[in-house]
Amino acid sequence: MIETRGLTRKFGTITAVDDLNLKIRDGEVFGFIGPNGAGKTTTVRMLCCLIAPTSGSAHIHGLDISKPEEALMIRGKIGLLPEMPGLYESLSAYRNLDFYAQLYDVPKGVREERIQKLLQTLGMWERRDDPVGKFSKGMKQKIAMARALVHEPDYLFLDEPTSGLDPEASLTVRNYLLDLKKEGRTIFINTHNLDDAARLCDRVGVMSTRLLAVGTPDELSGMFWGNTTVVRLRHIAPGMIDAVSSLPGVTGVKQEGSAMLVDVGYPEDVNPLITKTLVNMGGEVLSMGELKRGLEDVYIKLLGERR
Amino acid sequence: MRLDRIWTVARKDMSEFRTNKYIIYSLVLMPILIAVVLPTIYLAPFTMFAQPNEPFDINIPDTDIRIGETFNEGTFANVTFINCNLENVVAENCRFESCEIRSSLVRSSHVANTTVINGAVMRSNVLNVTFDGSVGSDTRILGEDTEQEGFLFQFIGFLMLFFILIPAIVPTVIASYTFVGEKLNRSLEPLLATPTTDAELLAGKSLSIFLPTMLVTWLSFIPFVLLVNFLATPIIGHAPLPDLTWLIGVFVLAPLFCVMSIALNVIVSSRVSDVRASQQIGSLVVLPVVALFVISLSGLFTLGPLVMLAISGAIGLVDVGIAYLTLKTFQREEILVRWK
Repeated sequence: MIETRGLTRKFGTITAVDDLNLKIRDGEVFGFIGPNGAGKTTTVRMLCCLIAPTSGSAHIHGLDISKPEEALMIRGKIGLLPEMPGLYESLSAYRNLDFYAQLYDVPKGVREERIQKLLQTLGMWERRDDPVGKFSKGMKQKIAMARALVHEPDYLFLDEPTSGLDPEASLTVRNYLLDLKKEGRTIFINTHNLDDAARLCDRVGVMSTRLLAVGTPDELSGMFWGNTTVVRLRHIAPGMIDAVSSLPGVTGVKQEGSAMLVDVGYPEDVNPLITKTLVNMGGEVLSMGELKRGLEDVYIKLLGERR
Repeated sequence: MRLDRIWTVARKDMSEFRTNKYIIYSLVLMPILIAVVLPTIYLAPFTMFAQPNEPFDINIPDTDIRIGETFNEGTFANVTFINCNLENVVAENCRFESCEIRSSLVRSSHVANTTVINGAVMRSNVLNVTFDGSVGSDTRILGEDTEQEGFLFQFIGFLMLFFILIPAIVPTVIASYTFVGEKLNRSLEPLLATPTTDAELLAGKSLSIFLPTMLVTWLSFIPFVLLVNFLATPIIGHAPLPDLTWLIGVFVLAPLFCVMSIALNVIVSSRVSDVRASQQIGSLVVLPVVALFVISLSGLFTLGPLVMLAISGAIGLVDVGIAYLTLKTFQREEILVRWK
């Protein structure tokens, strides 16, 4: 489990992370979304025991990040994929991974087998002896991903894993992360890519120095909006909006072109009434459905309120 | 501190050096310049024109020995004179010990502890001889260095100082790539996230600089010694190297300067973000070595074994202080947050 209590980090007068309280269960994939400078990378660096918190505490696997001996043990249990791959460009892909495997005390026989498996899974085995400097950004990202996993860590911290990748490389990385999710690893992802967060993460935290909200994507959506029914008509006649607004169970109506967005308490009870009312007034209903609000809406709403 | 981790870090860095042409050039060209080119350029012409000072091979039989006698005029050969006074004589293949020779000509002889007045000594070995109004021609002075020998020794000492300069300069080049290079490459963050301690990382990186630097220093010392001995032996009469002073210099003082250079360059690397800036500032580490050059050449004191040991001790103490500072500088948080 990853647990933070009042975790705060200041750089001089600037507060990068303010009073972060978070619990991430073992096996959970947790996504951190937020704008640049929101404190996501600083949080990861604190959790990876690279920088110390100014105040507050954090525990990973019951170990305190602020105690040097325990920090050393934590570093053995985590894998980090930083925002920049940071590979040794003159060394081969294999040598890069072998070096890290040695630092993580992976035994020699296991090391070879594991590196081969990782490179094969990521489609890089044929290029194992090539210097990393000759690789594309996507290929480097795959090697960096393999590096973070070469010691099979219990906790994986990924800082912008698909940033700057082309759609194909991005898809490979995303699919690989889904495989890792199935393995039951605890994964902490910093991302700008809300689509990635929605697809990969069990829970998402919206960060802007402070943690603004945390929950599953559906929970986050439910925090701000109720159920909205979208009714598409051929034509919205005068009086239709008022008629629907006056129906029991309807809390608000908005017109968007020839569509009507109706906020309702219980769609199952209210949707038939809406249809009946509109048809009685001569309306031609083309479709009716539920309005899905994604993470993007949550993100923009939260950060808009913050500003 | 785990030695296997230190060695892992050092080996990785050394693998990287093999592909860096600037590091390879520094490791190969500078030792060639100092061990081969400089002695060849400076010593070879000197030794070509210098008079050799090997004693003449003169054999004098012990059959005719004269002690405490006085000789006026005469020609002598194969005679040993001890405590004698000679005047107006011509002597060839003789030995003179504690004599006074006036208005005479001596050839192909051994002359020791003797005063020669208004005469000439030619093609002879001389030891502690006073020439008073006399000429010594083509003599081999025994027991003391000639002017040219003195110059030769001083020059060899000057060249030897370069063997302290190599371990001070080469780390400047390598350290700038290993520390600043890692910063530029952004490879420090994942490295610092491993369960390796700051001290292990620092020791590994320092070892990767120390080993190749000292290896090329010591390896280039061998051809240097052979070359200098080859060029200087005919002049001096014996092989000048290796002597105790410079064995201490190369095997004790040079590694200590290397450690100092590495430690200072780590501190410099932590404050700059450009390889060239790091090299330029880091190269200031040669100043103490240059000071040693100046002191040595100014003749303020002769670099003997004791002086060399004293300098080594002082540099060793400075090393301990700088190493402590370096450990303070090389800390994860400092590196990630403050290293520019």
